Amino acid sequence: MKTRLKVFFPLGLLVVLVLLLPITVMIIASFQSADGSFSLENYHQVVSTRYYTEAIRNSLAISLVASVISLIIAIIGAWALTRLAPKTKNILISLFNMSSSFAGVPLAFSLIILFGNAGIWQALMTALHLPRTFEIYSLSGTTLAYTFFEVPLGIMFLFPVFEELNPEWKEISSVLGAKPMFFFKKVIFPVVLPNIVEVFTLLFANAMGTYETTFALTGNSLVTIPTLIGTLIDGGLTANVPLACTFATLFALFMTAIVWLGNRVTRSKREVKA
Amino acid sequence: MSPKASTRVARGIITFLFIYLATPIVVTMIYSFSTSWVKTILPNGLTLKWYSELVASPEFMAVLLRSFSLGLLTTLIAMACFLPVVFYANVYNPQVKSHLRFITVLPFTIPGIILVTGLIQLYAELPIPKIIILVLAISLLSLPLTYQALDNAFIGRDFRAMFEQALVLGDSPFKAFVKVIIPNIRAGVLVAMLLTFTSAFGEYVLTNLLLGGNFETLKIYMYRLMRSNGQASSVLTTIYFIFLAFISLILILIMQHYSAPHKSTKEGAKK
Repeated sequence: MKTRLKVFFPLGLLVVLVLLLPITVMIIASFQSADGSFSLENYHQVVSTRYYTEAIRNSLAISLVASVISLIIAIIGAWALTRLAPKTKNILISLFNMSSSFAGVPLAFSLIILFGNAGIWQALMTALHLPRTFEIYSLSGTTLAYTFFEVPLGIMFLFPVFEELNPEWKEISSVLGAKPMFFFKKVIFPVVLPNIVEVFTLLFANAMGTYETTFALTGNSLVTIPTLIGTLIDGGLTANVPLACTFATLFALFMTAIVWLGNRVTRSKREVKA
Repeated sequence: MSPKASTRVARGIITFLFIYLATPIVVTMIYSFSTSWVKTILPNGLTLKWYSELVASPEFMAVLLRSFSLGLLTTLIAMACFLPVVFYANVYNPQVKSHLRFITVLPFTIPGIILVTGLIQLYAELPIPKIIILVLAISLLSLPLTYQALDNAFIGRDFRAMFEQALVLGDSPFKAFVKVIIPNIRAGVLVAMLLTFTSAFGEYVLTNLLLGGNFETLKIYMYRLMRSNGQASSVLTTIYFIFLAFISLILILIMQHYSAPHKSTKEGAKK
């Protein structure tokens, strides 16, 4: 018992100091009004202020579109990856890992060079006498930016799942006379679907929590839940930390529910398997 | 589709993905070598001027030093927190692992921007140096990486027997751990340390919001340059990218070096 205590002490202390305590205080603060008494005023503001609901709508829209597109590309990419030689696979996985850590300020900056007002894309459009069709600082631009880290992340999550699929299944089913489409629908799809749902929830949650890329790309001109929280914490005169706590509490609750659901789907599958 | 054709399709897809993901990086690199590249399709000329300017600036070294110390401290704390726990979970009590799983989804349910809100609410008024809170918080958020890499290191060997033999021979648990276990998991520990270091080295959200930009680390410097001096920022981004590439290369080498004998035993068992 004593050694057990020693083993868990550092991690336990860390979790209490910078996770449990701050999150508890955050939840309590979200119910505090300006004078410190208990109230639901902050929650009321979140749902009734247009600017705040816009942040929620933007976050949901960008994250949903970015994660669906990225998931589709990641499925194709992860499948393609399983077809390559083992050595190439390892190298490519490291590269995907690297490109997902390129997210944030560096990614935003690169995209501004490419698609920004003085960027290469605009120069190309002007040279070809085409109208300006794409704005990187917009909703669709931000969505595009998200795919640059969501796609590699999705591939890294999905690749191990696809790698586990047994190639013998295909032989067996074709020996038994199954058509490829039937095989795909009745064998591969049911096995892979729960994992795809789980990866989707993770990609969605990851997009919802993205602050750095959005902030670096659009400043505060495009409001999402994370950039809004950033302004509420950091905004000098307009700072309102309790309101930031309210947003953060709602966010954490919502994301925990979604990730838990995603986890649940794969867990139930595992139980059936056993 | 024949297997050969499908391999060709797969190669095509991967090549396409590679180009798509690499384009922004390549463009930034070219930008960092250009004399100027504004509103034209190709840069006007090539130069190394921006590199010598950035590297010579005193800010640059100070920024690197700050990010480096942040990375190092975070790595040490993450290791101190997780090495004993992952060892214990793998060797003595695998059930603990299912409880540790919550840590792997932590960055998704409580991302940096949410965590920093709670940290500011709790610690803003307290007389504790914010830098300590920052290092601890970054360690917490890098735990999933650390955990996964360390957990992989324990696959496939009987560490319990090794550890208990050392205890029987009279070593204290701590000494036995350092002498017997660490050398056997050093590849995993190294991978975990590199991943943790890299994530802390490039941290932005927590550092910026918790310390209000007063502690200028790599990413904060990069963001400031991006607003004022595109060329310098592209140089910094390129250097950062080369750093990431270098770390990835080390990771690939470690994995190839250590996984090779591992694989052959696996294949041997199959036969």
